[in-house]
Amino acid sequence: MTDLEIATDAVIASTATTEPWLFQAMIEELSTAELGLGFIYTVLDLLAKRYDLTDAVVVLSHDALAVQEFRLGGRAVGADLAHRIAREPGVYCEPDVVPLAEREAVRTACQLALSMRMARFTASHDALTTIANRRTFDVALANSTVRAARYGWPFTLVLIDLRGLKAINDRSGHEYGDRLLRSFGFALRVCVRQGDLVARIGGDEFAVILNNAEGNEANAFIERLRQHIVSEGETIDFTMGTASSPRDSTDPAELSRIADARLYAKRGIIHR
Amino acid sequence: MMSPTEEDFELELRALPGVVNVGFHYSEKGDVDAVSLVVQGPDAASIRVVAKQIVSLYFPTATISIEEMKTLAHSSSTTLISPNRVTLVRADFNSHVGSCEVHISLGGRIGVGHSKNGPLIGGAEATLDALRHLDIDVPFYLVSSINIATSRGWPVIVTLRPTFNDVDRLGIAQADTELLSSAKATLNALNRYLDRATSEA
Repeated sequence: MTDLEIATDAVIASTATTEPWLFQAMIEELSTAELGLGFIYTVLDLLAKRYDLTDAVVVLSHDALAVQEFRLGGRAVGADLAHRIAREPGVYCEPDVVPLAEREAVRTACQLALSMRMARFTASHDALTTIANRRTFDVALANSTVRAARYGWPFTLVLIDLRGLKAINDRSGHEYGDRLLRSFGFALRVCVRQGDLVARIGGDEFAVILNNAEGNEANAFIERLRQHIVSEGETIDFTMGTASSPRDSTDPAELSRIADARLYAKRGIIHR
Repeated sequence: MMSPTEEDFELELRALPGVVNVGFHYSEKGDVDAVSLVVQGPDAASIRVVAKQIVSLYFPTATISIEEMKTLAHSSSTTLISPNRVTLVRADFNSHVGSCEVHISLGGRIGVGHSKNGPLIGGAEATLDALRHLDIDVPFYLVSSINIATSRGWPVIVTLRPTFNDVDRLGIAQADTELLSSAKATLNALNRYLDRATSEA
């Protein structure tokens, strides 16, 4: 068992005996979804109904996110209130009628939900650009090739290399280089269609899976991307290589090799 | 229940450096039409740019506002408005034995008071008992708890007399039951005294 799983079991076990309503809410959430931000709002809502609260905020602390405040109904907290309660993780209620033990149980359950959701997010997303990471891309590519082989559903894999990133980092600093990577990740997200996948698979390497796309659609995407970058006034130089499935291959590794070879051919490099 | 996409959206915003709170305002159709961020730290301008990009990906027509939280202040209060306010949680009357039980709260602690003198008198007595249960010094005793007929119901007036040399305190309240009215009127009578007593504590 992982540490998180052990912590989950511990929280659920203690909640079952001390706060049955909270335990019930956790079980219901876990039966339909995984614990996440939605659970935090559900618990605040249940707490408000249980004590006839007009308002409730839970303040949580997380290693990666620092202080996070969630308000009943997803409403904004506002700078003044946020400022007043940010130092002390806990549950703040109006009116102040919830016993300390119950507030602590709610805070712990919400803390667990935030940690689990964040763990899932970071496991599947690239930290800098917040697009999918290599692991998510590999799974998506494997799934797409299976569908292409079995049902003939076409897709196009686009591999993209940013050019000169190292020189940019050396010249303008890593902060600028990071901003460029984030901008490029955002540009990719803007230019794909719903259902396509955008991933950062290496330092300056990106990949896109364009579902139901061959030839024209892939060219249209590349054109959209170039136009977007120009319209944003960015100077990002990049090279692309594409491969389509099932036309080129239905094997993910082979498809990647083909796209990679085409990318390097465009750059005039013999890839060994 | 939020969809994974909605959660990703909120998490992306919360993952921006310095973002402490993300609030949403929904249109009648249920779409997000305004996003409010509270940001701590000096980089609000660059966060605005990235947040705007993220919002445009998920809800292109939504507006975005950012408030800056300058510094962190210490707070040990568990309430959102007044930190040390005494609040009535619940009041129950057992009609078989004529006893009242009143629960009040202060800073998350619950005080429970009892009386066997029926809802009108007992409500006031149980409230005083609950305050003492919370270790609040209440130098008053109950003089009267009466209800009066008005054109709009039966409010309860509670009179408390201090054990020190001072004037009587009067409170008036009208709630769903006589017991609740009596308990609320008692807290009402002690309003200013409790504010001072709990803020000094």
